[in-house]
Formats: sequence, C-alpha cells, structure tokens
Amino acid sequence: MAEPLLDIAGLSLAYDTARGAVRALDGVSLAIPRGGAMGLVGESGSGKSSVVLALLGLLGKEATVTADRMSFAGEDLRAAAARLRGARIGTVFQDPAAALNPALRIGAQVAEPLVQHRGLSPRAALARAVELLAEMGIPRPAAVAQAYPHQLSGGMKQRAVIATALACEPELLLLDEPTTALDVTVEAQILDLLEKLRAERGVSMLLVSHNLGIVDRLCDELTVLYAGRVAEAGRTADLLDAPRHPYTRGLLAALPRIDRGRIARLAPIPGSLPDLTQPDPGCNFRPRCPFAAAGCAAPQALRHGDARAVACHRAEAVRDLPWPQPEPVATTRAPPGASLLEAQDLARSFSLDSGFAGMFRRRAEVRAVDGVSLTLRRGEVIGLVGESGCGKSTLGRLVLRLIAADRGRIGFDGEEVPPKPPDAFRRRAQIVFQNPDTSLNPRQTVDQALRRPMERFGLARGAAATAEVERLLALVRLTPAYRTRYPHQMSGGEKQRIGIARALASRPDLLVCDEAVSALDVSVQAAVLNLLGDLRDTLGVAYLFISHDIGVVAHVADRIAVMYRGAIVEEGAAAQVLSPPYHPYTQALLSAVPVVGARGRAAARMRLAGDVFAAPAERGCRFAHRCPAKLGAICEDQAPPVQVPAPGHRIACHIPAAELARAPAALAAAE
Amino acid sequence: MARFLLRRFASVVFVLWAMTVLVFAIVHILPGSVAHMILGEYATAAAIAALEEKLGLNDPLPVQYWRWFSGLLRGDFGLSITMERPAGPVIMEALGRSAVLAGVSIVLVAILGIWAGIHSAVHKGSASDQALTLGQYFFIAVPEFFWCILVILFFAVWLGWLPATGYTPIADGGLLGWAKHLVLPVSTLVLGLIAHVSRLVRSSMLEAIESRYVLAARAKGLPERIVLRRHALPNALLPAITVLAVDVGILIGGIVVVESVFAYPGLGRMLIYAIDNQDLPLMMGGMIVVTAVYALANLAADILYAVLNPRIRVGGTAA
Repeated sequence: MAEPLLDIAGLSLAYDTARGAVRALDGVSLAIPRGGAMGLVGESGSGKSSVVLALLGLLGKEATVTADRMSFAGEDLRAAAARLRGARIGTVFQDPAAALNPALRIGAQVAEPLVQHRGLSPRAALARAVELLAEMGIPRPAAVAQAYPHQLSGGMKQRAVIATALACEPELLLLDEPTTALDVTVEAQILDLLEKLRAERGVSMLLVSHNLGIVDRLCDELTVLYAGRVAEAGRTADLLDAPRHPYTRGLLAALPRIDRGRIARLAPIPGSLPDLTQPDPGCNFRPRCPFAAAGCAAPQALRHGDARAVACHRAEAVRDLPWPQPEPVATTRAPPGASLLEAQDLARSFSLDSGFAGMFRRRAEVRAVDGVSLTLRRGEVIGLVGESGCGKSTLGRLVLRLIAADRGRIGFDGEEVPPKPPDAFRRRAQIVFQNPDTSLNPRQTVDQALRRPMERFGLARGAAATAEVERLLALVRLTPAYRTRYPHQMSGGEKQRIGIARALASRPDLLVCDEAVSALDVSVQAAVLNLLGDLRDTLGVAYLFISHDIGVVAHVADRIAVMYRGAIVEEGAAAQVLSPPYHPYTQALLSAVPVVGARGRAAARMRLAGDVFAAPAERGCRFAHRCPAKLGAICEDQAPPVQVPAPGHRIACHIPAAELARAPAALAAAE
Repeated sequence: MARFLLRRFASVVFVLWAMTVLVFAIVHILPGSVAHMILGEYATAAAIAALEEKLGLNDPLPVQYWRWFSGLLRGDFGLSITMERPAGPVIMEALGRSAVLAGVSIVLVAILGIWAGIHSAVHKGSASDQALTLGQYFFIAVPEFFWCILVILFFAVWLGWLPATGYTPIADGGLLGWAKHLVLPVSTLVLGLIAHVSRLVRSSMLEAIESRYVLAARAKGLPERIVLRRHALPNALLPAITVLAVDVGILIGGIVVVESVFAYPGLGRMLIYAIDNQDLPLMMGGMIVVTAVYALANLAADILYAVLNPRIRVGGTAA
C-alpha cells in the first residue's frame, strides 16, 4: 500500500485550564490515503474539531500537542503546518457567516491565498478567484466577487469559503462541520459539490461531523471519537451497518432515522461525558456502557481486525447482545382526543425597513405567515417542517399570541383567544425555545426558574412548590441537586431539559417546541424525545413540534405540516407526508436529507436551486420559482388547488394527485 | 445612504433647536431679576427698571426667545453685558483656542488609545499588557483636576520646565512658546481618555482575534501581521469610532476644568467667566456652541461608521 497522504499516530492534546490540564485528545491515530475521504464523528466534547486545529498548528498557547507521528505527504506537520496550511491543506469551517470577514469583499478573501502562496498579483488572483467562484456553481461570479459577505445567502457563502480553501489546489481538504449551519436543501447542494470536487480533482478529505448521514454519503472510511479517544475505525459502510464498539452502537440506536419512520422509543446513552481533567486509564466509556464488565478498567488498545479497529475488549463477546431498549412509561397510548387548538387564517408580515440597516434599503415586507389554518387535538403531535425563513417559528409564536397577528383567529379548547390572552391561556400553552443558552436567565437558579411559573399562576407555593420543582427535575431525569445550579453550571443538554421543565411547570396542555432538540447531541436528544413522548402519553400534552430535522419530526409527529414561504403546502398523517404522493417541495426536502445507509440513493434525488429568499411570487404557487416539476405558466399565474388524495392528506399543487403519486419514494434506501 | 444622512442631519438640527429652548428656559425661568443680579444688591429701583427696559426683559418670554433665536440664526449672539461688545467674536475666539486644545487631545487619544489597545490585545496576558491594564484603571479612576494640580506642582513649580498657566499666540511667542502652554493642559486632558479608548479597543480587538474569520484567515496560511492588520483591525476599530465621539463630550467637560486651572483662555474658561459675571448672552451663546460641537462630532462619527462598515454602506443582496 502506498504511503498515506496524512498519517497521524498517537496524537494527544492537553489544554491548561484553571481546573487543571484537560486531556482533549488521547492517542488519536488516523490515516488518509491520497484521494481518500475520512469521516471523523463524535458528539460535542469528543475532540473532533481539536484534531483539525492540531493538524493546522492553530491551537492556542494553552494547548500542548504530542504525537508519535504527524506527517503530511512525507513532511512533519509539527514543523511544516504554517507553510502547508492554505497552500496544500485547505480548510472549511462551520458556519460560513462567521468564517468570512464582514469587512472584506468576497473576491479579495478568495484571492488572498493565491497572492500569499502562488505569488500572483492581486489583479491576477482576483481574476482566478472569479473563475473559482464560477467553478463552485455560483451564478454571476464577477458580481459576487465584488459583494460583501452579508449580501450572500448561507449556501453562497459556504461555496465562497470552499472556493477559498481550494484556491491553491490543495491535496487535502479539512471540513469541519461544513453544512451544519445550513438548511437541508442547501446542505444537499454543498454535499453534491464536495462529491463532485472529490471525483474530479481527487482531493482528499477529512470530514468532521456529528451527522452520520453526511459522513455516510461522502466518506470511504470513518473514525469514531469518544471523549478524545478513538472508539472505532473502519470502512464507513461496514461500520454503520455493523457497529462493534458499544459507543458506536449506542450512537446509532439513539439516532432518530427518517427511513425507519416511527419507532416506539429511541435508546439514549445514559450518563454524560467523563471529566477530561482526570482521564480514565481504562475504557472511558465504561461508566455509560451497558455491557461494562470486569476488565474494562484496564487500558483498551485499538484491536485491529479485518479493516476494522475497535477499542473494546468485549466487542466480540457482546456482539450478539442487543442494545438495551428503554421501557415506555405508558404501555398504551390514548388516541388523540378532542380539538385543542384551532388556528384560522393566521397572517403576520414583517417590515424589512426597521432598524438602522433598514434605512438604506427599499421598503420591503416579508409575509412570514400568510393565511395559515391549523388544528391540533389533545395528545397529538404536529411536526412543522420547512427551510429557515419559511415562517415556522413565526407561526409557533403566533398561535401562542406571543407576537401579534395581522389577522386570523385562534380558538383554544373551544374558546376564542383574544390578542391579549388571559392568564389561563398562558398557563395552558407554553413554549420551549431552541437555544437554552439565551432562553434561561443567567441570574436565576434552576429552582427560581421553575418556581416562578407556579407562583405566577398560583399553582403552588413554599414547600409544595419545592416538591413540585423536584418532581419536574425527576421528570426531565435530573437530580434534586440541580435546584441550586445556575445556567452556566450546566451542559447544553441539561439546560435544554430545564427549559422543558420550565415549560411544563404550569402544567400546560399545549407545548410549542421550537427546534427544542436541535442543539443537543443525539444521545441526549434521544432522552429528551423519549421524555416528550412520555408526557404526551401520560398527561395528554399536545405539541406543535417545529424542526428543520425531518428525521426527528418523522420520529415524534402524528401529523406533519410542510411550510413554504408562509403557507402550508402539504399536510397529513406522518406516513402520508413521508411517502408519495408528495408535494414537489416535500419531495425535494425529503430527498435532500442525508440518511444513514442510503448510499446510491442518487436516482431518487431531487435538487432545488437557490434558496427560500429568492424572488417573490406575487400570484400563483409560491414554490413555482424553484419547483423542478413546474408545469408552466399556470403555476405562476394561478393559486394551486388543494387536493385531497386521501382523507386528512392535503396537497396544494397544480399537478394531479395521481401523477404526484408516481414520484419515486424519496426515502427508500437502495438495497 | 442619502436617506440616512438626511435623517441624521435633521435630528442634529432638532437637537440644536431643542437645546436653544432648554438654555433659554434655564436662564430665564430661574428665580430672581436678571437686571438685579447684574447691577448688584445696592442698585436703585430706577436703574433696574432702566436696565430691564434696555435688555427687553419686560417683553413676554416668547418674544424674548424669538429675538435671541432669530439672532442666533443670523449668527448674532447678542451683546456681551460685561464686555459691552458683540458676544459672537468673543465666543469664536475662545472656541478657536479650545479647538486647538481639544483637537490635539482627541488626535492623541485616538492614536495612543488605539495603539495601546491593539498592543494589549495582541500581547494578551504579557507583562506589557498587564502594566497597561493597571495604568489604564489608574488613569480612569483618578480625576483630571487632581492631575492638573500634580503636574503644575511637578513640572512648573518644582522642575520649572513648563509654564503653569496662560496662553501665548504663535504670533507673540513663536511655535515653541505656543506649544509650551499646551503641553500640561493636553496631557492632563488625555490621560483618562486614552485609558478609556484603549480599554475598549483592547476588548474589541480581542473579540476580532478570537473570531472565526481570523481563524479562517490563519488557516489560509497568511502571516500573522497580515491576519491582524487586514482581518482583525478593520472590524475592531468600528466600535472605537463611536466611543471617540462620546469622548468628545467628556473632553468638553474636561476642558472646562482644565482651562480654569491652567488659566487657558478658551471656551471653558469663558463659560465660567460668563456664569460668574451673569453675562447671559455670552453664557447662552457658549452653551449653544458647546452643544453644536458635540452634536456635530457625533454626526461625523455616525457618518464615518456607516462609510467604514460595508454592512451599512452596501445594502441588498448579490446572489
């Protein structure tokens, strides 16, 4: 076998902190052949981004790197990283909005490495930058080169970042969560681009991601990191089909998968990451492992087998033992009851002309929600999906009367909800926000945050409230010791569970979950999703579940509503929406989802150009400007009829339902 | 952009007008007869009545206000009561001398403050950063009148290097003589402000250095000096513009104190003189001029901020 392009062995990394040295990486080894693509996966805190920074030599002064071997094309990276980065190693970081300098034009930023490493004149470099932008599939590249980052959409920004990384034709591309900040449709475009670049240019890739579906699409090989150590490594397809390390098995068991549809319960991995200031000499997954036994306390070497390396001495022994499935709290689930929330013709526009920046633009209005009607029954879960900017969060706030509606009526439990709703409505309809970091008051302890709604609505006081706080904490699987904690003393998953507990404190009948699990790692996400399911089954809570993650929605929702530019284009029972007939937008959304085990799904793939903010449609179908199945002028001129291919299933499209039904199933994995 | 300029300019005009009302109201609604204050407690009733007639104090307040305000619009600040000559030239002459003091100070504050801030941020945690930080807190905490007295004692009285008070026009004392009178007032004015600006620049520069676009610039393989100068600095300096405009206000307050202590014949000292001597036209005119300077400094900062920030300057979407 030829010498690998990148060869890392025994990479360790320690950060000096006030609490002592944090061992972020511990003996990590990986090798990428020329033209190969390696996926590096793990949950937050696994150290996967630190690997990238260590390779680039860009860790701060607080970091101490040691390694047996760190070589790139025969050169020692420890000495040569400063010379190689940008020239022979290109990097794409997460969130292009943050990775581009807001004060510099796109063209200048793309051209910079060419001036630096190739010695091109700024003018020649800029000309090459325009070519690069065109190669990345950016329309009107010359205009984009003159633009500033804030003038581009997220997908275009990430294309510009990739163009920069590729400017000097590097042999290796480091991709650190390259699509995490993007919509699923835009993510699919970027993944297509990366796939094409790999095929055409033979560039090697190290793809860091928490998303197994993306890794499955792009990478031949996969390394799973857990708390700074390699748990398992091998060929992607084999590893995902038959994981051997208990952590990898747990990760896959916890993942809600759109192709598996609705399963009763996910299997969360209990516990949390070990304390990296005191690394466990033995297996560091041991405290969370359901198969832990004697001998796990001994150091675990990577056992190499047939193209697979597993850091578990019991991998073979427990191979046939099933991963433990948690028992559901309620054995039977009551069917959804009477109508709880009835929203009729809700609408809300936002003026773009507000604020300081707005003074420079033409007056414009965005119809965030444009005549949406929605009915939610007791104990029912409606999943609301769509790209960012489609109005799903606005709709969630509208039905709670958290923001004023321009028009429309809301009925709750048979009564009209006025624009200034009474306390009783506020008590019964609550919300869980996406970002627990900003939705919890940093000056309030958990106890104060949970007690407040009870006192506000006169539910409990004093000792009774304390007991109730402890009951809520138990509900979200936290010990009473958390009562005295402040938000900064908790992890993201713990904070989000407090956010859910706070929403439950007033014993609501309706919860709007606005991307409530998006910020969580899959092992914690599984626990939270199970909790939400239990509450629905035992208390009959109804959810409006807003998420961009269609896998999660497919797992929790009874019914799914697909939103596009302020309106619901398709609505129906989950199984109806997830299989043909589809609205073309639903089909595009579903086929964009990177699904684990869907290799070779390309035949059924349907791609959307542009993004949701493209030119507005005044009349006709609001999806016409991007629709790959557009019939013609009728789509642009006439509002589409609502078709009912099956009871409860509604599709707003001009294309006859019978024809829509012939669409290939977007989720079916090619076997 | 044109709309923005127009809007900002209109708001400056409004602020200035509102200030004329406020200044006029403060001076005229205060209890006591103005003529009585001017003539002193032994004035005869007839003298007071004559002076009130002469000053137009018997007219209704709106009439008096209009007389003063319309004069302002024509550039006429009225007649200084104590000097018995037009207040306008007196104010402008004082303003010119203060502008030298303030101008030299603000330039020094901008240059030294920004330099110290960048230095601290780039060498975060180093001995020089810690020394600068300590010095900055010290200079922010100690008020300027204390420095005034200290530097006079040290440089003028003890060492005898520099004149303690006064002012020499270039025409009389030459450039050196003129500059000598500026050294002590300027240095006491700028110490606190340099500290203030450098604290802010340090934190905004640190924020830029820790940003992802600076990380991305390093990953491009750019040398550190280009990373700092091209990528970090432009973003770090934007907040400094706003704070420099705010510091103009602090500077004006400082000038009143410093000019009094150093007997520097500028606007601040003139205001104190006008207040001490009940010279109402001089006092009102001076206050309006100070307001105008502050409002215009902020307008200039807003425009500069908009010009330097592409997110404001360039709207719309490209693709």
